[in-house]
Amino acid sequence: MKNHESPWNRRNFLQSSLLGAGAAITSTSATVVAANPKAGDPEITQSVDVLVVGGGTAGTVAAIQAGRLGAKTLLLERNSQLGGTMTTGGVAFPGLFDAWGKQVIAGIGWELVKESVELDQGEFPNFAKVPQRHWQNQVFTNQFLYAILCEEKCAAAGVEIAFYEFPQSVIRAEEGWQVDCVGFGTKRRILCRQIVDCTGGAEVVGMLGFPRFREEERQPGSFLYMLGQHHEPGREQIHRIYVHGADSTNSRTATQANLAGRKTILEKVRQEKKRLMHLQPETGFRESYRIEGETVVSVNDYTSGRFFDDAISYAFYPVDLHTRAGVKPEPLKPGVTPTIPLRALIPKGSRDLIVAGRCVSSDRLANSGLRVQAACMGMGQAAGVAAALASKAGSTPLEVPLDEIRQKLREHGQIVPEQA
Amino acid sequence: MRQRFVTLLSASTFLVLAVTGVIAFLRPFSLPVVGLHALMGFAFVALVILHVAFSSRAMVRHLRTKTLWTTLTITVLATVFLWWQPRPVRTILGWSQNLGPALDRFEMGEKGMIYHYHPDPSYQMTLEIQSGVSYDPANPPRLAIWLENESHYHIKTLYEPKTADSETMLPYWASKVAGWKEALEEAKERNESLDELVDAISSPTENSSFDPADYILPQKSESPMPYRLLIEINQAADRTDKSEDQPSLVYQVEIDNFEPRTFQILDLVGYPVKEETREGESEWSLYYIDERFGSALNLIDSALLTIVRDDTARTEN
Repeated sequence: MKNHESPWNRRNFLQSSLLGAGAAITSTSATVVAANPKAGDPEITQSVDVLVVGGGTAGTVAAIQAGRLGAKTLLLERNSQLGGTMTTGGVAFPGLFDAWGKQVIAGIGWELVKESVELDQGEFPNFAKVPQRHWQNQVFTNQFLYAILCEEKCAAAGVEIAFYEFPQSVIRAEEGWQVDCVGFGTKRRILCRQIVDCTGGAEVVGMLGFPRFREEERQPGSFLYMLGQHHEPGREQIHRIYVHGADSTNSRTATQANLAGRKTILEKVRQEKKRLMHLQPETGFRESYRIEGETVVSVNDYTSGRFFDDAISYAFYPVDLHTRAGVKPEPLKPGVTPTIPLRALIPKGSRDLIVAGRCVSSDRLANSGLRVQAACMGMGQAAGVAAALASKAGSTPLEVPLDEIRQKLREHGQIVPEQA
Repeated sequence: MRQRFVTLLSASTFLVLAVTGVIAFLRPFSLPVVGLHALMGFAFVALVILHVAFSSRAMVRHLRTKTLWTTLTITVLATVFLWWQPRPVRTILGWSQNLGPALDRFEMGEKGMIYHYHPDPSYQMTLEIQSGVSYDPANPPRLAIWLENESHYHIKTLYEPKTADSETMLPYWASKVAGWKEALEEAKERNESLDELVDAISSPTENSSFDPADYILPQKSESPMPYRLLIEINQAADRTDKSEDQPSLVYQVEIDNFEPRTFQILDLVGYPVKEETREGESEWSLYYIDERFGSALNLIDSALLTIVRDDTARTEN
């Protein structure tokens, strides 16, 4: 007599048991959100010393730095995690921290990268070795760990994080600024002494009416994904497509960039008939607005390694302009290490306002080298110091004695440019 | 009698043409071989005309045969095929060692070293290495000069020392040459060109031909292929306080063959270190100069590369 197929044969039993065990293990990992007595209030008003707008590569470092200097700091981030292009954009191979055999950018940015790599049991490039290509000295970083470490270090520095929020208006207040922000279910009025604009496209600077520049045609954005093979975070580069015309000016243009990028990736999946194994949540943008600062860094300044009197950080990357035809990096001449002046972070004619990141005051070619993550981290730390010290002194970043800024930067592990 | 004489002479001339043609393919450029081939070509044309004249009746008879038209068709098809140069033909041509009339000269004197490279009437390269204070003309350093493509693969050694210790004294250059030779052998075994082999192993290497002529004398000006000239220099037994024997030093310059600059200074890149890869193989990498170096840094005061390229003359040719 033929036996009926039992749904509980040995194989099914084993599979079910394993699934059950897995479910049991998963269910034991849990956490509890700390109670927030004001969570039900739709409207909040608070005062801080330093408001950092944008929790990306530069903003996170700026906020941690301001917090470590004792400034009451609030960090606004419109997305759900910190890190910006490092995490949400997926460009988790920051560079360049070294030039010509030695480290030139360190500080809080390096601390975050280093801890991420060490925790992830990853590897660092050997800075003593001459790279055949500049990107060989970029540091493969686990984007997920990096995002969490950013949060941990913000918390340790006393920085309050506000995800999903962004400013709607900024006006002058008695002791600085009144910034009205909105998030879902939240209206927040912030009274702050100093603003550090790390939005990438200098959005706060634009709201305040200070001049910004934007090219007619911008460099393409990149949408990162992995097709047909597993992605090992912190170990490798990831597939990418160019999103030409990508524009992070506002939510509508950013939406268009994301839709176009994801649509192209879907087409690739259908064409190549491979599994989509990884997809970043949004386009990484290379270029939008740059500020007109008290100083504008020109490509000649950049490629000659001009030492600015008010240099607060090094930068090191080829002139790297991406176009429809691709990119052909122009490496810097041996020994050249560009510097970033404090004045390039100050919107012209402004007070109590400083920027950090790819909106740094520079011409387009210089910006193509200055916009990269290590340089943005360096700028972020300098902006954090300048804003915190200005807040403490009741002055503006440009009036803080430069030596004091440099000294604080050194104390917090950053490498400050010195004239050769 | 005269007809037989012309026929035999045509045959013997053809034999010389064929042999010199094969030699010209296999060997680096040689003016006597190519000259002999070209002049014998003229003689052969004259003899063929005479041969046709003496054999006109027979030729007319041939006109009525299918054989003549068949052979003519085969000849035309073969000519078109070889002129068109599809991939198999290009692969075969790629095996040729004849890279044009490469005439070079190396001089070493008290003031330094000068290398002249004149592979074409429209191209002249000069590398002037001005000696530094550590340079001793009585005991000169070992020196190699070579070209690499954009992917850092060796494509041609321009100058190498004729000494037994050249590979140990100049390990970076030697490793590049060894890698290139191994790849050539592998490509030969796979019946592929070197370009195809490298593309298959790594990833498609755009603008990374292995034919030096593509860089030095590019035929397609619309697809620039920058290349690099490197020198490795090493002085034997140059001890310092921090080193028993200072390693060799590597200098380089990148050349834009789309629009080459006439004068360029070579930059010091670093010194070679042998490392083990994850796969357990050894490879030489360059490291930045450290405090161990002293006198080696003064072997060279400066290295000036001069390239004079007359594209107009070459186009007219």
